[in-house]
Amino acid sequence: MFKAKVKPEVLKEVIEIIATLVDEAKFSVGKTGLVIKAVDPAHVAMVELNISKGGFEEYKADDNELGVDIDKVKEVLKLAKPGDEITMEHDEEKSQMVFKVGNITRRMSLVDTTGISDPKVPNLTLPVIVSVRTQELRQGIRASESVSDHIALTATPDGFEMASEGDTDSVDLKLPKDLLESLECKEEVRSLFPLDYFSNMIKAISTGTAVTMRMGNDYPVKIEFSIADGKGEVTYLLAPRIESD
Amino acid sequence: MDQNSGWQGRIKTIEKDFSTAANEIKGGMNAQLCAYCKGSKKLCGKDRCPVLTKYYAQSKTQSMINSTNIAGSSPPGVFVGRYGYPKVLVGPLVPAETGDTMLYDTPERWIGKSIEDIVDFRMKLVRGMKPVEVTNVENGGRVIDITRELAMGSVSSDVEATFTKKPRGRLTFNSESQPYGPTAPIKGLDSGNIKIDQKIDKAYSDTDLLSKPAVINLYKNGIMVSRIQKAFSVGAFGIGKNRKFVPTRWSITAVDDMLGKDLMTNTKHAPFINDFEVYWTEELDNRWAVLMMPCSWRYELIEAWYPNTVWNPYGRDVVIFSDYEFLKNRTTYAKIGGCYYSARLAVNENLTARNRQAGCVIFREAHAGYIMPVGVWNVRENVRAAVRNKPRKFNNLKESLDFISTRMDIPMDRWIKTSGVLKDMLHQRRIEDFLTDDKPIEPDMDNTIEPNLERENEG
Repeated sequence: MFKAKVKPEVLKEVIEIIATLVDEAKFSVGKTGLVIKAVDPAHVAMVELNISKGGFEEYKADDNELGVDIDKVKEVLKLAKPGDEITMEHDEEKSQMVFKVGNITRRMSLVDTTGISDPKVPNLTLPVIVSVRTQELRQGIRASESVSDHIALTATPDGFEMASEGDTDSVDLKLPKDLLESLECKEEVRSLFPLDYFSNMIKAISTGTAVTMRMGNDYPVKIEFSIADGKGEVTYLLAPRIESD
Repeated sequence: MDQNSGWQGRIKTIEKDFSTAANEIKGGMNAQLCAYCKGSKKLCGKDRCPVLTKYYAQSKTQSMINSTNIAGSSPPGVFVGRYGYPKVLVGPLVPAETGDTMLYDTPERWIGKSIEDIVDFRMKLVRGMKPVEVTNVENGGRVIDITRELAMGSVSSDVEATFTKKPRGRLTFNSESQPYGPTAPIKGLDSGNIKIDQKIDKAYSDTDLLSKPAVINLYKNGIMVSRIQKAFSVGAFGIGKNRKFVPTRWSITAVDDMLGKDLMTNTKHAPFINDFEVYWTEELDNRWAVLMMPCSWRYELIEAWYPNTVWNPYGRDVVIFSDYEFLKNRTTYAKIGGCYYSARLAVNENLTARNRQAGCVIFREAHAGYIMPVGVWNVRENVRAAVRNKPRKFNNLKESLDFISTRMDIPMDRWIKTSGVLKDMLHQRRIEDFLTDDKPIEPDMDNTIEPNLERENEG
């Protein structure tokens, strides 16, 4: 069984984070909470989202996997008014998820989870840890968007830098150590990433959240942050682009 | 959905895009200009396309029909012009011969024909022209009514056309539609019994059916793309009050785009192919290689025009350019034109038939023998023909590109430099590349492809 009551803003946060990578996702529900792991169809990025029982207003579940169409949940979210609570319940007989918002009952058929791949999570050693507020990252993304399709993230013992280089133009945003939440970096590391992925991920994070990025040299970046007032944790992983010519 | 207002809007923005692009290119006649324009956008600033004018001058000028009256069998065929939109010239295509003339207006059957054959088919067809408002689908008079019936016809039909002037014999080209022959203003049109395709007629009679499902259903029922396009151009589909004539060249791309998009929804959810596959064909001095890769859907068409080919008449070097899309549908019109959509339909047909997903890159080399634009059907039918062949299978991208290099003259590094999809395949890592915490897997491509610059200027 699965039955939960959740604030619309929490569900919205979860859905927006997942929707940057996939249209359909497997919700793994269990006694202690909800886990969603997903990898985008091009296998360039993945997400691992955990939200504990405490992130919900009410929560009760046995271990199960529920295939959810993310766009349909977005439709449900549009129906919620401020102060509403959304109830989700798994109807096992009909294989449906039943959403209740106010006086509306929306039943949606579940997606077959056998078609949704179970992403393997790489075990990475990432030496550098940078913690920064989302608005700084957004500023760097905005600056890069008109210049290139890629963004280079560089960390040095003195600070963090986001840079883009186009055919004729270039831009960079330098954040010295004192503008960062924290920085652990012994020597310089740099990796290049597809800007659209990076941008969509960062835009899905609520404004004001502190984001921790674990980085290496020509290596994936791990972007960690919390959701649902600290009751949930998200890790995004984005594979780098290697320029070798 | 409205049958075509979206398209008009889109095409207008494209034209705007191109005029800005044209202004950006300084120094007048840029070799790239023609390849992007393909005679349709007046990028060079001249009133008439100098390239096409050259062909007009060379084309046969004798009028084979020395009369204002023709009786013959229409393939069936029609043409809707785009000049003067929203008042356009609509009319039938009529040859001065009777019998089964269907071949003359069925590009699906032109594979293996020479440019001379195709010119010959088209020269035989006289295009009757009657000015009509695009929205006036129902009350355009007898000529228009019979033209519409012809557009929905399934076999060649005997017609008798009366013109106000003798047909002027010359061949007209443009990049999207097939060339067509002599033209004349038409004043009267009579027909025997026109055998209307029943499935098309059903969609025509259903004035509540949107044009998109109409087009898709007909296609799924096995109606040829060229036939759907013909009916689409005479406003046979869509909500009754929204029906409009759609200029032939717009309707070709509209139908290619709609059908391609529909098939893509299946492609994007299908399992990946197992190997790297390379399909090959050669026709009208165009070389085609279709690369399918075992990865999520992505698509690119790269065209290389040798000097002295149709759309690279002034350049001394090969002009090479591409357009591509990844998993998200594109929101802007492809700058390389309607051929992008024709080829996209063709590869999706192949993937849908075997319920597979793949990333597709199409390489096209147009060599000096390709002297005359014959329309985007050339792209659709050749890509179709290529993927009907048995593919060469490879284990990785490097081997596939090496093989393509043996068949193409342009060195692979030049293709890669132009390509968005290949660059992504080579440079963008995937999550699974890091599954063991070793060093990132080195790309299997680098330094392995021999540049062969000397051959580039051949042609």
